[in-house]
Amino acid sequence: MSDGKPTQAPGTPPAGMAIPGNRTMPKEDRLTPPVWEGGRAAPPNGDFRMIGKRNRKVEGLAKVTGRAVYADDLVLPRMLHAKLLRSIHAHARIVSIDASAALALPGVHAVVTGADMPTHFGIIPWTEDEQALCTDKVRYVGDAIAAVAADDERTCEEALKLVRVEYEPLPAVTDIETALAHPEWQVNEKAGEGNISKHVRLEFGDVDGALAASDHVVEGDYWYEGSTHAPLEPHCCVAEFDSTGFLTVWSSTQVAHYLHRDLAKVLNLPTQRVRVIQPVVGGGFGGKSEPFSLEFAAAKLSMVTGRPVKILYTREEVFYAHRGRHPMRLRYRTGMTADGAITGTDALVQLDGGAYSSFGLVTTYYSGQLLTAPYALPAYRFDSTRVFTNKPACGPKRGHGSVQPRFAFECQLDKLCEKAGLDPIEVRRRNFIGERTKTVNGMRVTSNGFLECLDAVERESGWAAKFRRMPYGRGIGVAGSMYISGTNYCIYPNEMPQSAVQLRLDRSGRATVMSGCSDIGQGVESVLAYIVCEELGLDLRDVRVVAADTDLTPVDLGAYSSRETFMVGNACLDAARHLRLKIAQTLAERWGVAAGEIVLANGVACASSDPGRFAISVKEAFQWAEARHGTLGSVGWYQSPKLGGEYRGGTIGASPAYSFTAHVAEVECDPETGFVAVKHIWVAHDCGRALNPVTVEGQMEGSAYMGFGEALLETQRYKDAAPGHAFGLHHGPSLLDYRMPTSLDTPELHALIVESVDPEGPYGAKEAGEGPLHPSIPAIANAIHDALGVRCDALPFDPPSVMRLLRAGEARANWERARAQVGGPR
Amino acid sequence: MDAAALVPCTMQVNGDARTCAITPATTLLEALRYTLGLTGSKQGCDKGDCGACTVLVDGVPTLSCLTLALACDGRAVTTVEGLADKGVPHPLQDAFDRTGGAQCGFCTPGMLMSAYALLQREAAPTRDEISHALSGNLCRCTGYTKILDAVELAAAELRERAK
Amino acid sequence: MLTLPAFAWSRPQSVEDALAVLAAHPGECLIVAGGTDAVPNLKHRLHEPRRLVHLGGIGELRGIRAGDAGLEVGALVTLTELASHPHVREHFPGVVTAAAHVASPQIRNMGTVGGNLCLDTRCTYYNQTFFWREALGFCLKKDGTRCHVVPQGKRCVAAHSSDVAPVWIALGAEVEIASRDADGAVSRRSIPVEAFFVGDGVHNNVLAPGELVTRVLVPGAAYGLRTSYRKLRPRAAIDFPMLSVAVAVRGDAARIEELRVVVSALGAKPRTLGGLDAIVAGRAHDAALAEAVGAVAHKQCHPLSNVPYDTDWRHDMVPVFVKRALADALGVPA
Ligand SMILES: Cc1cc2nc3c(=O)[nH]c(=O)nc-3n(C[C@H](O)[C@H](O)[C@H](O)COP(=O)(O)OP(=O)(O)OC[C@H]3O[C@@H](n4cnc5c(N)ncnc54)[C@H](O)[C@@H]3O)c2cc1C
Ligand code: SF4
Ligand code: FES
Ligand code: FES
Repeated sequence: MSDGKPTQAPGTPPAGMAIPGNRTMPKEDRLTPPVWEGGRAAPPNGDFRMIGKRNRKVEGLAKVTGRAVYADDLVLPRMLHAKLLRSIHAHARIVSIDASAALALPGVHAVVTGADMPTHFGIIPWTEDEQALCTDKVRYVGDAIAAVAADDERTCEEALKLVRVEYEPLPAVTDIETALAHPEWQVNEKAGEGNISKHVRLEFGDVDGALAASDHVVEGDYWYEGSTHAPLEPHCCVAEFDSTGFLTVWSSTQVAHYLHRDLAKVLNLPTQRVRVIQPVVGGGFGGKSEPFSLEFAAAKLSMVTGRPVKILYTREEVFYAHRGRHPMRLRYRTGMTADGAITGTDALVQLDGGAYSSFGLVTTYYSGQLLTAPYALPAYRFDSTRVFTNKPACGPKRGHGSVQPRFAFECQLDKLCEKAGLDPIEVRRRNFIGERTKTVNGMRVTSNGFLECLDAVERESGWAAKFRRMPYGRGIGVAGSMYISGTNYCIYPNEMPQSAVQLRLDRSGRATVMSGCSDIGQGVESVLAYIVCEELGLDLRDVRVVAADTDLTPVDLGAYSSRETFMVGNACLDAARHLRLKIAQTLAERWGVAAGEIVLANGVACASSDPGRFAISVKEAFQWAEARHGTLGSVGWYQSPKLGGEYRGGTIGASPAYSFTAHVAEVECDPETGFVAVKHIWVAHDCGRALNPVTVEGQMEGSAYMGFGEALLETQRYKDAAPGHAFGLHHGPSLLDYRMPTSLDTPELHALIVESVDPEGPYGAKEAGEGPLHPSIPAIANAIHDALGVRCDALPFDPPSVMRLLRAGEARANWERARAQVGGPR
Repeated sequence: MDAAALVPCTMQVNGDARTCAITPATTLLEALRYTLGLTGSKQGCDKGDCGACTVLVDGVPTLSCLTLALACDGRAVTTVEGLADKGVPHPLQDAFDRTGGAQCGFCTPGMLMSAYALLQREAAPTRDEISHALSGNLCRCTGYTKILDAVELAAAELRERAK
Repeated sequence: MLTLPAFAWSRPQSVEDALAVLAAHPGECLIVAGGTDAVPNLKHRLHEPRRLVHLGGIGELRGIRAGDAGLEVGALVTLTELASHPHVREHFPGVVTAAAHVASPQIRNMGTVGGNLCLDTRCTYYNQTFFWREALGFCLKKDGTRCHVVPQGKRCVAAHSSDVAPVWIALGAEVEIASRDADGAVSRRSIPVEAFFVGDGVHNNVLAPGELVTRVLVPGAAYGLRTSYRKLRPRAAIDFPMLSVAVAVRGDAARIEELRVVVSALGAKPRTLGGLDAIVAGRAHDAALAEAVGAVAHKQCHPLSNVPYDTDWRHDMVPVFVKRALADALGVPA
């Protein structure tokens, strides 16, 4: 329903003349990254000067002085504001939409609906089931239907009230059971059958035999409540379609590349005439890793009006955009020998996916595939089913897909230890899978510092003196985990690199790194700068990072799957080493020394054999090299080796390197109220190498915090249906009702870095952004057991739930029994 | 004053007398960000739940998203842009940068204003006092640890400087 | 952003002016003090006034004064000022605890004693955006016809949620109300804070349109009472009470002479427990006595489902919090 202006971009070939699409790329061997003498982990100039030091971040001062520019800080001349009309029904057919009254309102410039851009899109090419604005059906309360552009937001709101939508309500399903029981109430027509979004069943080894032969078998049912990312910055974008037919979108996204592709597709524009720029982003955690209605709507409205258009989601809308943690129902059977060796694990998992697929295909695999380390699982089976329900779509939240099974499994382990009368840290050590090995599902493990992680949390927490030794109400618990450092394939199949960097050196002594990577606060831009400084001997202030601007930067797939430090870090390392080599050769030639002698450090280039004689500034060295080789630039890219198991889905969960984590949590519980106060979490994390310990600790602390929040406080729940209530209403889409912990609630977080130095990571680095979240939840559950003698198998561990458990069972007797087991002082 | 008319509102913003023309239904946050172009103060919830919009009104930490701009007519407003001294970051800002107190940075301006006011009234706050003073400022990234570190560090440096 | 509805603006400089503005625009005004309740409610379109009357310019409403007749607290005194006032800290620790437990530091800097007293009642079906309430089908308190908490009910049972009010009641404090008659004459009357509240969630106090709260008065007789306050909330900051208990005791742990317990976040008005004298008068505090007081509270207090967290659990927490608050007031371990 545009105002009648043509929306086709000038220069688009007329229908019938289009170039055939969908031609598959030639299948070539995968690119292999260069091999460096001394390996990737070695310092280039003797010792590390930048890497491993407590450095500032490149954008830090801009952030603390208020100069950093986020999407909502942008104002363009003649800019309009737009808002989305959202469904008040959880499930309904759209019979008609009449926006004429809205369009007639003074100050309104355009209204668009789904009919203006009906093309389906979706982050995973096999499950493209979303539309920018719904055309036929709405599938959750908050699903977007239309968008209005006006002079200001209040006019938009008034106009939205004038859009008349006629709905035909349909039966809504809002939980897993109903979704399965009523396939005829189909939420999403793209589902293969009924409400099944994805089903995966994989078995490795003889699970039934292993369980039958176990000395102890524990069977448990778990419930993992949904939660959301709640980045502090609400989603925002500004779109500008100019008179040459070029679209620029500034968006608070964490995946500029995928947004770029989907914008072109849905808006029917040539990809090369779309530019996506990611300004500074105020947090993502996975919640900004897909295109959303706002970007398409703003772009379309800009095309229609010829003016820049901004859309800023309200906090409420952020809860509807969601893509958060899947609620999961999990059933586990786990076996163990009398002396503590895990024998087999059988997992049955159901995922509540919400209304759309999002990353759900991957989530369903991850809910099983990522459990197979740090412990050796001799036999393992999982059966995971994701269902569609009439709620905002779930997707990747920090620790995508594997936080829920990890919770269940680490609680299972704790129960087995209790049954066998063994110390849970000891048992975790005993089942250590090792380094340079393969998991039961065929995942290659390179470096593995899990044992050091266990040692660190055991030591720092004072475990031996506390476990089973504290008075009733106080307790301590342990858990471990592993996570990926990026996945080995791009989301859409292609043979091109997953990460890339272009690096240029200027004769002024400045380096500029350009990469499509996405900094959402985790610090990847700084990682690039540290690497360049380390290789070229520069000061941090002499490096500029240009990131996530599809016009200026080579493709990187973005900030998801904890891929950035490992992948774009490697790309940057290569780019910097190519130039370093050029410079070293130039200087070596001039000075008549070996290139291997050249050191670039602290702004000085010298020959290590005689630094007194052979030394110039790095800036001069750049100039000599430019004179010798011409303009200085280089590229680096990363493509992971072929990885994964030889079976369908065997590449999902395969990563070039895995991080490992152990947590010990200490709690103080109030048996009279059920309140659990988490006093401490000791977080030991094997990040390979900490390129900057400050940011690594920050990721560890932030992860533990987020895990703690979902364990105790945060829920993305929906109101029960009742007479007069709508179905599927979010229980309270605000930061008041969605309770993220304040400074006063947060435990003391103790970050303990473990460095296993991965052979393939940049300087040995692996991920640190998501892995350290996983053990928080089971460590707290296990600590509550140590404190009270109750097993928290369902999230959240809020006071009413804990009280219910205390009343239901013989908590005190269980507690006494567990204590007696471990016996007297060691 | 009627609802639609623009009315002048004069505030002393970061030391400068600034006048803007606004309707009565304009919050201080909107006036700062969209009328005066001071986008340092952030909006995370727009209704008092997060603290990202914290500024000082006559020196007191105030949620600008809940403050009507006209209620600040004639008063002094300090935002994150006003903390640096002739371009030199305030020790608190510098400490946030050094300790990793700002990850995504979105809570940072509000955090800084709460912390700044605390250090104005208490030169040697305990960690617990800092935690209390910042309890109305949510941070989603850091787990607060490095933020508390930053305030402690800045307090120590300011005390050192005052000697 | 969450937009504000359009409204006109008045900023009177005196109580008389304020009352005159209110009288000049009958039924069209919303009074705003700190705005921490009014502004979110405006953004949610829970209030849609034509005009805002901002009290910030009325100097007379500021200040805390202790005199022979008792303590006077101006309506514009902020919760931060109240909680840090030396005299209040010395004599009324329960007031300090309650005020210091409101929301967050910034909100306490802004929120006023008058606004806190007149705080709109709260309900999970009400304190939501217009969109959310539209999807719900609205409710009887605003824009709709049905209550989602007590579906057969004809009355709104939204929860009184002010932290400080229960302590005022326990202390026997009074609230001073200024009004203006048809001739423009301004008069003031004082009523007990307890009588200020009525059991109607739509408008839970006796304030008539055109009236103003000017002061809270704590009588001289309240000096010597031991006070305490306990608040049930999921987080240690920001959250509204899910249950609140204020206690005022005359006497000490060895001999309790008089006990007042006020429980709130239940229905539209705070509940003062009845029948306590028979249990406590003249007795020493011990486990049995605490148990008995707790049992009375459990019997008389019935949390509803419009406040977050399990209703039965909150009911169970009533005696626990009452016992703890009593112990706090007497300075003995719970
Ligand atoms: C995130 C958040 C959390 C909160 N948590 C709590 C909490 O835990 N406990 C709590 O008690 N409160 C809480 N509040 C509510 C509020 O901040 C406080 O109660 C505060 O004291 C209200 O005072 P105010 O001056 O800001 O009120 P305003 O918003 O200015 O006014 C509130 C109401 O009182 C009326 N009013 C104000 N002053 C007068 C007067 N003098 N005469 C007549 N009517 C008047 C107004 O018309 C309005 O209806 C919270 C608010 C927010 C935003
Ligand atoms: S108690 Fe009933 S009528 Fe009152 S606000 Fe809640 S739902 Fe509405
Ligand atoms: S934006 Fe003001 S408190 Fe969240
Ligand atoms: S640094 Fe991101 S919210 Fe605090």
